[in-house]
Amino acid sequence: MADTVPVVPSGGAEPTDARVVRSESLSTIAWKQFRKHPMARVSLTVLGVLYLLAAFADFVAPYPERYIDPGATFQPPNRVRFWDEGRFVRPFFYPREQALDFETLETTWTEDRDNPVPLQFFARREGVRDRYFPFPVNLIPAQLRQTLGMRPWATLHLFGSSDPEVPFYLWGSDDLGGDVFGKILFGGRISLSVGIIAAVVAVFLGLLFGGLAGYFGGWVDEVIMRFVEALSAIPDLFLLFTLSAIFYPLNLPASTVFMLVVVVLAMIGWGGVARTVRGQVLSLRERDFAYAARSLGASNARIIRRHMLPHTLSFVIVYMSLTIPSFIITESVLSFFGLGIQPPSTSWGLMLSTAQNFVGVTGLGDRWWIFLPGLFIFIAVLTWNLLGDGLRDAFDPRSRQ
Amino acid sequence: MIPYILRRLVNLIPTFFLATLLAWIVIDLAPGDFASQFAINPLDPNAEARIRASLGLDQPMLVRYLYWLRNVITDFDFGFSLTSRNNVTNLILPRMENSLRLLLPATIITYLIAIPIGIYSALNKYSFGDRVLTVLSLFGLAIPNFFLALIFVAFSVQFFQQNGFFLIPTGGMTSQNYSQLSPGGQFLDSLWHLIAPMIVVALSSLAFITRIMRGEMLEVLGQDYIRTARAKGLARRSINYKHALRNAILVIVATLGGLLPGLIGGAGTVEYVMRWPGLTPLFLSSVFAQDVYVLMAILTILVVLLMIGNLLSDLALALIDPRIRY
Repeated sequence: MADTVPVVPSGGAEPTDARVVRSESLSTIAWKQFRKHPMARVSLTVLGVLYLLAAFADFVAPYPERYIDPGATFQPPNRVRFWDEGRFVRPFFYPREQALDFETLETTWTEDRDNPVPLQFFARREGVRDRYFPFPVNLIPAQLRQTLGMRPWATLHLFGSSDPEVPFYLWGSDDLGGDVFGKILFGGRISLSVGIIAAVVAVFLGLLFGGLAGYFGGWVDEVIMRFVEALSAIPDLFLLFTLSAIFYPLNLPASTVFMLVVVVLAMIGWGGVARTVRGQVLSLRERDFAYAARSLGASNARIIRRHMLPHTLSFVIVYMSLTIPSFIITESVLSFFGLGIQPPSTSWGLMLSTAQNFVGVTGLGDRWWIFLPGLFIFIAVLTWNLLGDGLRDAFDPRSRQ
Repeated sequence: MIPYILRRLVNLIPTFFLATLLAWIVIDLAPGDFASQFAINPLDPNAEARIRASLGLDQPMLVRYLYWLRNVITDFDFGFSLTSRNNVTNLILPRMENSLRLLLPATIITYLIAIPIGIYSALNKYSFGDRVLTVLSLFGLAIPNFFLALIFVAFSVQFFQQNGFFLIPTGGMTSQNYSQLSPGGQFLDSLWHLIAPMIVVALSSLAFITRIMRGEMLEVLGQDYIRTARAKGLARRSINYKHALRNAILVIVATLGGLLPGLIGGAGTVEYVMRWPGLTPLFLSSVFAQDVYVLMAILTILVVLLMIGNLLSDLALALIDPRIRY
C-alpha cells in the first residue's frame, strides 16, 4: 500500500480501485445511508402498502365510497371462516341478525349459523351506483370528469358477499351502516394525501418568501419576517380553527374542501420554513460562489434558483418527511372537530368523531371497530416519523455513519 | 440587561398589533356573522339587519377592529359575548383557570418524568432499557391526543357498564353530587376527576420532551470538552451531571416559553373529548357561533402569553448561559 493515493472518504463507499476517487452525488450517498436504517425501510414498505390500498380503494373495498345501509348500523364484524365441521372449505361467513332485548332495550347481534354465505373473490357489483373509476383515472378531479362526460365503468371488487341480500362487513359497520373497512381505505385517500400536498405547498411558500427575504433583505425582509412573526404569535391550533371557520359552513364540493384544508395546513407550516430558508440564504449570499455568479452577470432569479435553492434541498427533504406526519395528525384533529373534511367525504379523523359521539353511550367492548381509524392514524404517523428519521440521518452529514 | 429587555419589549408591540389584526381579519373572512342566524325569521323580516346594526356589526371591518383595540387598551375591556351577553372577561377567566388547573400539574409531572428518562436513555444509549423507551416514545409521538383521550373514555365507560361505578371518571370536572359534598370531599372529588385528563395530557407531551432531552444530552456528551473531562479522570457522575446535564438542560429552558400556549392547544383536544370546561371547548363553540369578541379575547390572551413566554425563556436562557450575549 505504498503508492496509493489518499482516498477521500465518500459516505461509506468502497471504491474497487483505491486510486480512483469517485465523487458521489447527494442522492447516492443518501441512498447508501438510508439503506442502513432497517426501520426506515420497513416503514417505506408499510407506507407503500397503505398508499396502494388507498389508491385502489374502490377495488379492494367491497362497497362504494358513499354506501350506507340504515338497516345495519353498528353491525359487528363478520368473521371470515375457513373450517366447517372440521373440514377446510372455501371462505364463508355467517350473516348477522339483530334482535331487540325488550327488557334492557339493547340490540344484540347474533350469527345465523344455519345459513352460511360463501365469500366471493373478484366479485362484480353491477348496479349503477356501484360503478367506479379505477386507479389512475380516479386522480382526475370529479368536476373535470363531469365536464369531460366520463362515466364510471369498473365493476370488479377484490371480494364481497356472494349473496347481494346479505351484507358483509369485514370490520363492522358505523352509525350510518357504512362499511368501516371500506371507509378506512377511502378515508385514507384524504388522510394520507393531505399531509403530502400541504407539506409541498408549505415548502413552496416557505422557499419563496424565505428566499426573497434572505436574498433581498431591507424592507422586503422586514415585511415578510414581521408577517411570519405575527403569524407564529398565534398558537397553531387556534389559528387552524379560525381559518377553517372561513369555509366549513359553505357546503362546498368535496374536492374544494380538500384543497382548503391543504391551504389551511400550509398556512401554519410555511412560516417555519421561511425562517430557516432565510437564515440559510443570508449566509449563502455572502459565500464566494454567490459573488462569482453575480460578477459573471447572473440574474437574481438565476442565482436564487441555481445557487441558493439547491443548498436547501437536504433541509427541505427532511422537513417534509417530518412535517407530513404532523399534518396527518392535524388534519385528523380538524376533521374530528367538524372543521375539516365534511361528510359524505370521509377521513380518519372524521370517522373518529363518530366514536366521540357514541363513546359515552357504549364502551370499548361493544363497538370497538369504530376506533379502528385511530389505529391507522397511528400506523401512518409512526411509519412517516421513522422514514423521516431515516431520511434525516441519510441527508444530515453529521449523523452519517 | 435592562436595555436588552426594553428593546425586546418594544419589539413585541408591532407583533402584537399585527397578530391581533391578522386574527381579526381571519375571523371576519368567515362568511356571514353572528346576526346571520336570524336571517330566516317569519315574524320579523328585518330581524337580521336590526340585530346586526344593534351590535355594531354593520360597521366596516377596520373600524370595528380599532374600536375593539381602543377598548382593550384603554379600559382592558374585551367586549361582551354575543351569544350569552356576558362580559367576555367574566366568561374567560374561569375557563382559563380550569385549563390551568389541568395544565400545570400535567406539565410538572411531564417534566419530572421526561427529564430523568431522557438522561437515563442518553447515558445508557442502545441498552435494552433505552431501546424499549425509544420505541415507547415513538409510539407516544404517533398517537394523537384526542385518540388517546377517546380510548381512555371508552375504557372508563366499559368499566362503568360492568361494575356500576367509575374507576376514574373521564367526563367533566366534578361529580353530580358535588355541591352536597363537604369542602374536603369537594377537593378530593375534583382531584379524582383531574386524574384521567391529566394523565392523557402528560402522556401526550412526555414522548416529545423525552426525545428532546435524550437527543440534546447525547449531543453534549459527544463534545470535546466531555472527552477532556474524562481524560482528566473526573468522576463519571460529575461529568454527567455537572458538565453535560447543565448544558443539555438549556434546550428545555428554551422550549419553556412557547410551552404554555402550545399546551393549551395540545390539551384542548383532551378537554373536548373529556368534557373538561377549559378554554378550547369555549373557543370551538364560539367559532361555530361566530362569537367574535370571545374568539378575539382568547386569541389575544394566547398571543400575549406566547410573546411574554418567549421573552421570559430568552431571559432565563441569558441568565443561566453565560455564552449568550445581549
